[in-house]
Amino acid sequence: MKGVRKSFGPVVALDDVSLQLNTREIHGFLGGNGAGKTTLMNVLYGLYKPDAGEIYLHGKKVEIQSPKDAIKLGIGMVHQHFLQIDSYTVTENIVLGTELRNRPTLNLDQQAQRIVELSQRFGLEVNPRARIEDISMGVRQRVEILKALYRGVEILILDEPTTSLTPQEVDVLFQSLRVMVDEGMSVVFITHKLREVLSVSDRISVLRNGQNAVTVAGAEASEETLVKEMVGAGMDLEKSLIFSESGLGRETLAVGPKAIVQVEKIEVLDNAGQPLIKDCSFQINEQEILGMAGVAGNGQQELAEGLLGIRPIAAGRVLIEGIDISELETSELLALGVTYIPQDRLSDGFLPKASVAQNLLLGYHHQEPFSKNGFLNWPAIFTAARKQISEYDIKTAGPSEIAANLSGGNIQRVMLARAFSRPAKLMVAHNPTRGLDIRSMEFVYSKLLEQKEQGLATLLLSEDLDELMLLSNRIAVMYQGHIMGILDRSRFDKYQLGRMMSGVKIDE
Amino acid sequence: MEPGFNAKSLALRFLPDLLAVVASFVAAGIFIAVMGFNVLDAYETILFTSFRSVNGFAQTLLKFVPLVLLAFAFTVPLAAGKFNIGGEGQMIVGAIGAAAAGIMLADLPMVILLPLVILAGVLFGAFWGAIPAWLLYQFGINEILTTVLMNFISFGLIDYVATEIWKDPFAGHPTTVPIGAGGELPLLLTSPPLHAGIIIALLVAVAVYIYTDRTSAGYELIATGANPRASRVYGINVRRMFLLSLILGGALAGLAGSIEVAGVHQRLIEGLQSNFLILGIIIGLIARGNNLAVPFVAFFIAVLEVGASAMQRTMMIPGEMVFIVEALILLFVLLSDVVRRR
Repeated sequence: MKGVRKSFGPVVALDDVSLQLNTREIHGFLGGNGAGKTTLMNVLYGLYKPDAGEIYLHGKKVEIQSPKDAIKLGIGMVHQHFLQIDSYTVTENIVLGTELRNRPTLNLDQQAQRIVELSQRFGLEVNPRARIEDISMGVRQRVEILKALYRGVEILILDEPTTSLTPQEVDVLFQSLRVMVDEGMSVVFITHKLREVLSVSDRISVLRNGQNAVTVAGAEASEETLVKEMVGAGMDLEKSLIFSESGLGRETLAVGPKAIVQVEKIEVLDNAGQPLIKDCSFQINEQEILGMAGVAGNGQQELAEGLLGIRPIAAGRVLIEGIDISELETSELLALGVTYIPQDRLSDGFLPKASVAQNLLLGYHHQEPFSKNGFLNWPAIFTAARKQISEYDIKTAGPSEIAANLSGGNIQRVMLARAFSRPAKLMVAHNPTRGLDIRSMEFVYSKLLEQKEQGLATLLLSEDLDELMLLSNRIAVMYQGHIMGILDRSRFDKYQLGRMMSGVKIDE
Repeated sequence: MEPGFNAKSLALRFLPDLLAVVASFVAAGIFIAVMGFNVLDAYETILFTSFRSVNGFAQTLLKFVPLVLLAFAFTVPLAAGKFNIGGEGQMIVGAIGAAAAGIMLADLPMVILLPLVILAGVLFGAFWGAIPAWLLYQFGINEILTTVLMNFISFGLIDYVATEIWKDPFAGHPTTVPIGAGGELPLLLTSPPLHAGIIIALLVAVAVYIYTDRTSAGYELIATGANPRASRVYGINVRRMFLLSLILGGALAGLAGSIEVAGVHQRLIEGLQSNFLILGIIIGLIARGNNLAVPFVAFFIAVLEVGASAMQRTMMIPGEMVFIVEALILLFVLLSDVVRRR
């Protein structure tokens, strides 16, 4: 790809970007959120039409107008969010959209046979007759890759493929990718996770703000050089939390003796009224960050919502400083000092049509000094908002600006400012760095640690094991609503956590 | 909201709306010219009738009262993200309530009867709004459908009340007997007659603004409209806000009904709801749901309405021309939103 340019309205997403992909290579494609990685690949896959630039395949110029053209040329893409039909079998999902000779009978034995062959060849184990709704995220991803292989692609693009996998599943995926490359294919591996890209890629390209930063051979790259290319100058890596070799200092890791939160055998129901969280118990002390690991969808959301009173706690109880809060409503919990950073900030925490100040007020609109006798005290609200805007470095024209104008990173800063600006006892943070660039991640980490040192008890629910292992004093693992065990910091081990994430219980 | 707007930003904010109004007048002017009338004379009549005589101004204020209340009956639920298309029915049922109180308790003195008449209208309107609100709260039935359907029930109801229960035997049109004298709104002017409903309407406008912009309860309403899911996550009972907003909308429309009875007709007359529902929705949409802007837009529409009937009388131009202008203003305002977003 040469000189690709793409803009959305006034925003230039890609500016004169070039990328060379060799055969038989895994090409790591790295960049912060919004750097344009996915946009570039969508251009290659025919989903976006570039404003300028050319694409050459085996030295010949090609026009790719649609995914159909791309597949014809041997280019396949696995999206971050799988495009699958839940009630269909694996085989049905894979053949969907391909030419079928036996349309009237829809006998898919032949196709299933081919899928088995492919899956054995590349080590992508699936049961072709299983229904999508019954299989795990890791297997669903294999289905997505098989979909591309079935169509005979030579170039496979994987967009953030490791987001919902356990470390073990990641290893298996990487082995399969290696087999594909050995058979003559090329793989583009889009990610924002440095360690993964380093471990698997033959060459690595970094994209920054829609422009080429650098392309290096995998063997020559190091975390530091890549990060410098990703964020550009201006970030002090020496002091960075994310890349601290030795981990956190001893004072940072200290835990107070007093228990703040005691969760005792609680049960939380899912939307269908079935108990999703069962017999769940843990304790968080003051100055402690308890990490909660687990593959997405194993009850993390329900646990967070249960603790916040958004979802009722069906059995068991939750104590905060000895007081039973399991019957309280959300507004009472907020007043009591439970704060929340929701995972889906746009849907669960954000008022797009309202002003920045109104957003910062959400949840605290009954509390002094913002509210007196039922009337809002706008001067106090604006004063507080201005302070939060400067303290949390929210890039906005002012408190009265409409919040819809904020960027994703700034919206997250609003969430943080709101959660941290009031005296609190328990913080529930669910994937607080999802979709943020490294600089913003760093900011979130420093704020979490700063509050922790001041005594806050934190429940950090995250799918990012690196994040959990960096920040947590202990890590609990959740699998299908059960706690599989809790590891102390001295026993942190990625693969042990991975085993627990796939349902292996450990003795404490 | 923030104290101290500056004039320039204010002007910039309203510039697109002003352009939309001008554009719609130009477009409607083409129609008037094609029909063979003098465009400038027509617009002069439309825009200045309200300000040329005391009578014109009084007429405008009388129109303004139900318009602003029906607009609020639409925008207050809209703030919570709910669409109340039932202002018409709520106004009719409010008027029935007011008339019932005024007729049954006709002998009471004014200090008691007048508040009762007004209150009866508010409560009956709130009740009519509470039915769709409850159906939404309990069963999740779409409020747009139910509020519209409740309008049709109210048409049958007013017909029954005006032809069966308190029928005025001497009237040719379905009408009730008059309410007691103590239930009539006092007049601010006797010739032309201007009743005190305008004061109530202005107080309501102030109250709505204070409620939605200055109170914690109003904040919950606005937050619910902006993102019900996030509001729930942060401790707001959004289903209760939906319920409350629709009942409030009904109460506001019901108030309009009782003012029409107590101030204008002194009795219940079939058809007193006029086309206030549609105009109220148009006002609410032109104001983009902004409760501070609603009274100003409502006054402007009242000017147009009064001008339209004058134009019809003096120039024989169909008064419906003004509908075209109003519809065009709305279209251009919506268009200016689209343009702004680009």
